[in-house]
Amino acid sequence: MPAATLQAPANTIPAMPPRKLYGLGAELPSAAALFHAAESMRDAGFKRWDVFSPFPIHGMDEAMGLGKSIVSFIVLGGGLTGMATALLLEIGSAVYLYPLIVQGKPVTWATIPAFFPVIFELTILFSAFGAVFGMLAMNLLPRWHHPIFNWDRFARVTDDGFFVVVEASDPRFNDKDTVAFLSGLGATNITMVYDD
Amino acid sequence: MSAATAQHSPLTAPREERFNYNNLGPLLFGLLVATGVGFVVALLACFTPMGWKQFLFSWLYAFMFFFTISAGSLFWTMLHYAVDAEWSVVVRRILETMANSFSVLWAFFIPIVLGAGVVYGWMYGVPAGVDPALDGKRAMLNPKVWAIFTVLIFSFFFSASYTLRWLSTRQDKTGDPGCTTKSRKVSFASIPLFAVLLTAAAIFWVMSIQYHWYSTMWGVYLFAGSAWSSMATLILITQWLRSRGHLQGIVSTQHFHIMGKLLLSFTVFWAYIAFSQFFLIWYANIPEETEFFLIRNTESWNVWAIGLEVVGHFFITFVLLCPRVMKTNPKYLCYVSGWVLLMHACDIYFIVNPFLNPTGVNPLSMIFDLAALVAIGAPLAFVFLRTLGKHSLYALRDPRLPESLRLVN
Repeated sequence: MPAATLQAPANTIPAMPPRKLYGLGAELPSAAALFHAAESMRDAGFKRWDVFSPFPIHGMDEAMGLGKSIVSFIVLGGGLTGMATALLLEIGSAVYLYPLIVQGKPVTWATIPAFFPVIFELTILFSAFGAVFGMLAMNLLPRWHHPIFNWDRFARVTDDGFFVVVEASDPRFNDKDTVAFLSGLGATNITMVYDD
Repeated sequence: MSAATAQHSPLTAPREERFNYNNLGPLLFGLLVATGVGFVVALLACFTPMGWKQFLFSWLYAFMFFFTISAGSLFWTMLHYAVDAEWSVVVRRILETMANSFSVLWAFFIPIVLGAGVVYGWMYGVPAGVDPALDGKRAMLNPKVWAIFTVLIFSFFFSASYTLRWLSTRQDKTGDPGCTTKSRKVSFASIPLFAVLLTAAAIFWVMSIQYHWYSTMWGVYLFAGSAWSSMATLILITQWLRSRGHLQGIVSTQHFHIMGKLLLSFTVFWAYIAFSQFFLIWYANIPEETEFFLIRNTESWNVWAIGLEVVGHFFITFVLLCPRVMKTNPKYLCYVSGWVLLMHACDIYFIVNPFLNPTGVNPLSMIFDLAALVAIGAPLAFVFLRTLGKHSLYALRDPRLPESLRLVN
């Protein structure tokens, strides 16, 4: 490409489309500072925000004001589905469709103890499916990319970094006030994180 | 209290907390009266058609009920040391005091020893050469081995619970962390002995009543009930102490949550063991194995088996304990624990009483069974309350106490 085209006047460069703001990232010096920051964020009434640390911090769910997860209901649904599946497969086939006398046991509901192992296993299997896939769905996983990875400092979260991230979609979010609030909590490196 | 705040708040040295005997006089007196009344009513069983045998089976039932709870308390204490647990430091003294009932429990076995020939038909009732199946078991089923194991069982349970309690209370005074490491060694050595001797107790004291019958799951079955019922008793006692103003700021909702989870896990464990035992015997259909369930799955015992064992013991308890709030709220957990103890009483009844009443539930027998429960339970409660006040209510200088106090799970 000819070198002359690189020296085009600045005013001819097309304007960048406005970048979509994902949220504000802030770094905290320690796990304890992160814990107290979370308590303040909770008390200030933020809704769409999260904390990140290299290791789990006991009591953080309470400090963040997280309620009880609904995963347990998904697990219950999974368990009941598994139980119903096993009952249908076993009672349906061995009692109604192909009644066969095995080991001199009756071919009625009275023979249900023989079906318990499979009922038990399928209940557990489907509960575990409910737990794993329910958890993934609640966490919006799996996904290829997340906007927070656009922030280079955030790579330290798997090493020694403690972060608070407030999403721009939070009803209380406001560029200037939130920055001031976060720096008031002792946060450093407060950064705008963009969505692209 | 949260973990991070606790790290920054200076941990105040815990104060010694003694059990407060205020207003307990009538209760202690009532327990002594109940002991006498229970014993006399239980003895009236000798005037029933069954006579002395009725008394012995009622007594054996009540004895096994409290034996399993005490053995379970010892189990939790040993487990605490063996896995170096943090959470149980604050309630361990209560468990130790519950296990301390082995210091008197042997005395309640004396009637069984005196009537052993009546309860255990194989002992003197069947001459050699009559029953080949029994003759094959004579190496184990003879009065000498029975007596040796009975002595071994009581010696072990008493010495293990006494040693652990002694080391723990000594640490209150000296603050020596060596007491904890010594207790750990005692626990490691005791756990295999506990397993063997609890199984021996289950075999010699209960299973051998029907000496043709055998089940390889029998020892585990009684163990599951032991751990389950003692956890329920621990929850009830801890909450009772809290309601009297004790252990405030020591035992928190977090500890109740853990105890509730263990109660739930042993609900499932018991069901797993009990069903496996039934299932294998039912499916294999071998005569010398099925005779235990033949009695218990016919007539009114079958209603008992389905209603109280399958539905009451497992399903209701399981469903009740599933929601988190049932485990974190001490009041709800106490209701469930009361239900658990009731179901454990029904379970032991279902084990012992059908040997005496194979044709069905006998309401007359229940009067004496209840009386025997009172006659053994009341003095054990008395001893428990008297022993509880001798030392601090929680392990005062345990090295893991700070971790236990700020438990988050």
